[in-house]
Amino acid sequence: MFEKNKFAKFLIYFMFIYYAALMIFMGVVLPAGLDGSMASFHVLDSGFFYVLFLDFWARFLLQQTPAQQVKPLTVLPLKRKKVLDVYLIRAGLTWGNLFMFFFLVPFAFMSIFYYYGWTGTLGWLFGWWLLLVADSYWYLFCRALIIKNMAWVILPIVANVAIILATILPEKNVLGDFFIDWMEQFIFWNPLAYLIPIAFILIFYFANRKLQAGMIYNEVAKTEEKEMKHASEFKALNRFGIMGEYLKLEIRMRTRNKNVRMSFLLGIGLIILFSITVSFSDVYDGAFMQNFICLYNYLVLGVMTLQSIMSYEGNYIDGLMSRHESIYDLLRAKYIFNLVMLILPFTLMIPTIVSGKISLLMNLGYMFMVAGLIFPGLFQMAVYNSDTLPLNTKMTSKTNNWVQQVISLVVLFAPILLTQLCEVLLGDVWGYVVLIVLGTIGIATHPIWLRNIYKRFMARRHQNMEGFRASRATN
Amino acid sequence: MQPTNTKTTMEIRLRNLKKCFGEKVAVNIDSYDIHSGDMLGLVGNNGAGKSTLFRLIMDLIKANEGEVIMVGEFQGQPVERNVAEQEDWKQWTGAFIDESFLIDYLTPDEYFKFVAKISGVTDEQLEEHLAKYEHFMSGEVSGQKKLIRSLSAGNKQKVGIIAAMIQQPQVLILDEPFNFLDPSSQHAIKRILKTYHDETGATILISSHNLNHTTDICPRIALLENGVIIRDIQNENNSAEKELEEYFEINE
Repeated sequence: MFEKNKFAKFLIYFMFIYYAALMIFMGVVLPAGLDGSMASFHVLDSGFFYVLFLDFWARFLLQQTPAQQVKPLTVLPLKRKKVLDVYLIRAGLTWGNLFMFFFLVPFAFMSIFYYYGWTGTLGWLFGWWLLLVADSYWYLFCRALIIKNMAWVILPIVANVAIILATILPEKNVLGDFFIDWMEQFIFWNPLAYLIPIAFILIFYFANRKLQAGMIYNEVAKTEEKEMKHASEFKALNRFGIMGEYLKLEIRMRTRNKNVRMSFLLGIGLIILFSITVSFSDVYDGAFMQNFICLYNYLVLGVMTLQSIMSYEGNYIDGLMSRHESIYDLLRAKYIFNLVMLILPFTLMIPTIVSGKISLLMNLGYMFMVAGLIFPGLFQMAVYNSDTLPLNTKMTSKTNNWVQQVISLVVLFAPILLTQLCEVLLGDVWGYVVLIVLGTIGIATHPIWLRNIYKRFMARRHQNMEGFRASRATN
Repeated sequence: MQPTNTKTTMEIRLRNLKKCFGEKVAVNIDSYDIHSGDMLGLVGNNGAGKSTLFRLIMDLIKANEGEVIMVGEFQGQPVERNVAEQEDWKQWTGAFIDESFLIDYLTPDEYFKFVAKISGVTDEQLEEHLAKYEHFMSGEVSGQKKLIRSLSAGNKQKVGIIAAMIQQPQVLILDEPFNFLDPSSQHAIKRILKTYHDETGATILISSHNLNHTTDICPRIALLENGVIIRDIQNENNSAEKELEEYFEINE
């Protein structure tokens, strides 16, 4: 166990360094890429909210609410509100809020520093720090509401979409211009400019204080929902026989378990965000960026859900393993479910296709590539995943083993390389045609490669089941 | 699924079976046959290796040495299967060991239906099957809109046992089936198991700490100590009760 912990720690550090390096790289490279009619920092400032959105959604994986943290301290003779204050202040001052600085600091030095020197750079970064702290409190506020009722997830989604639409729908991007002017004042250390994030911080600090105080009791006296109001039978799926039963299982797993639902909704949210960005914004009209966003629009949900394939099933793996070939049927259902889900980004891209901004062929090329080439890669995780993920209880960050890391990285970066290679070697049209053909082959042969995955899973079954049991005990 | 009125045959042979967890030997059985149609009760103190043995028979853990072989007839054809090498024996085997057998985000009815469908049991057969357990479920399992995770431990136990029997298995394995059950449910499950055994001739393995219940329904009892079957007791008219009480020092 000790060795395992040491390895897990190593992986955490490795992943931290990996992402930090990636962000530093982006921070160094992006200023040159964004420089054009506007200075690169103006481009970033006009779309600063995208950075905050990313920061916001990433917090779901890593940051607990104070109500959850305070829970174990409620048995001590401490005033709950005081403990809550400590945790709320800590949430504002935590080093975690500075993670984006791996990107922002090099970005500032590659852009602002040339024009405004040290003071300007530090002023701009200080402003960003306040924005990230404000984002932290906004996240805590939303998270607390979501814990109360899942429907509140709509609040940050609406807020994100509203801001994006407000910047991209009007002919003249008044809001974007305002953001540029306002954030430029950070560079000059204008106190009025800092008042906006400070006001935001104060408002959401006190809103959190009120909301979270009420929630501590709920956390302490947490009870499961006893009875369901409505339980759909999904009769339409009965015609698919055993496959239909496993498809029902996939749907119910996503709708009835907090962690699975959250990850699924996050994926859907990102698809909507990507689609809106490509459809309505001209900020990313460059061919590379359009390709990039369009491709990851098809990829994001699969990556988010299939990376941990079988990990949720670890909760009832003994039951599954005591049924004949149930894992094979389960894998087939998972594949079909993910294929069907690809219709969502395709549908959302239709306006962009109709407007001629992105070609139908490119969309089909990416969709087929993801379905027939990338999914088979992601499904390999089924062989190696052996940690049970809790379906409902709070999930602290989990680390994957090195095989999973390698597969994840390949799946994330190989598609963009492959598409670029096809386009360079074969040109736009033939490149996409090749992707469609390859994807179709992958889809048509899914019973074969799924059978192969199933056989390899069965060969490792004892090792995996041991892992599932051990991690289930520690969840 | 086997028809209810047909007697089935399935024997389980344990050969040189050994399972260790680190230094500790959890199961160590040279040779032991569970005959076709046996209703075997497995008893022993905590850590004796009862659940581990069940997991080995179900191929849920890997044996360090040895093998579990099922020999008998399935759908009229003679079969001989090493459980670690093939998988089709799962078609004639039903088991409930612990909660990791339950998909807890389903309602009991959804779970029964799921198990039935993937086991080739029709809706009508399932309905017929559940009707037999109406008394055992005592109105708190079927027809509920509660998810399995919201049920009491006893009702979860009932769901697991009923689900294990849905496909009318030739081999039925239940780990501590009397746990968490109220007295009338304990009585009901004893009656259910006896009837099922009489009707189908299935090979049934149960483990329990409750000696009375075990001797009530099991004509054969294996006593496990540190992973070794130290006594193989023929139990006629509860004759094993005294021997077991002496072993467990109940009356001292």
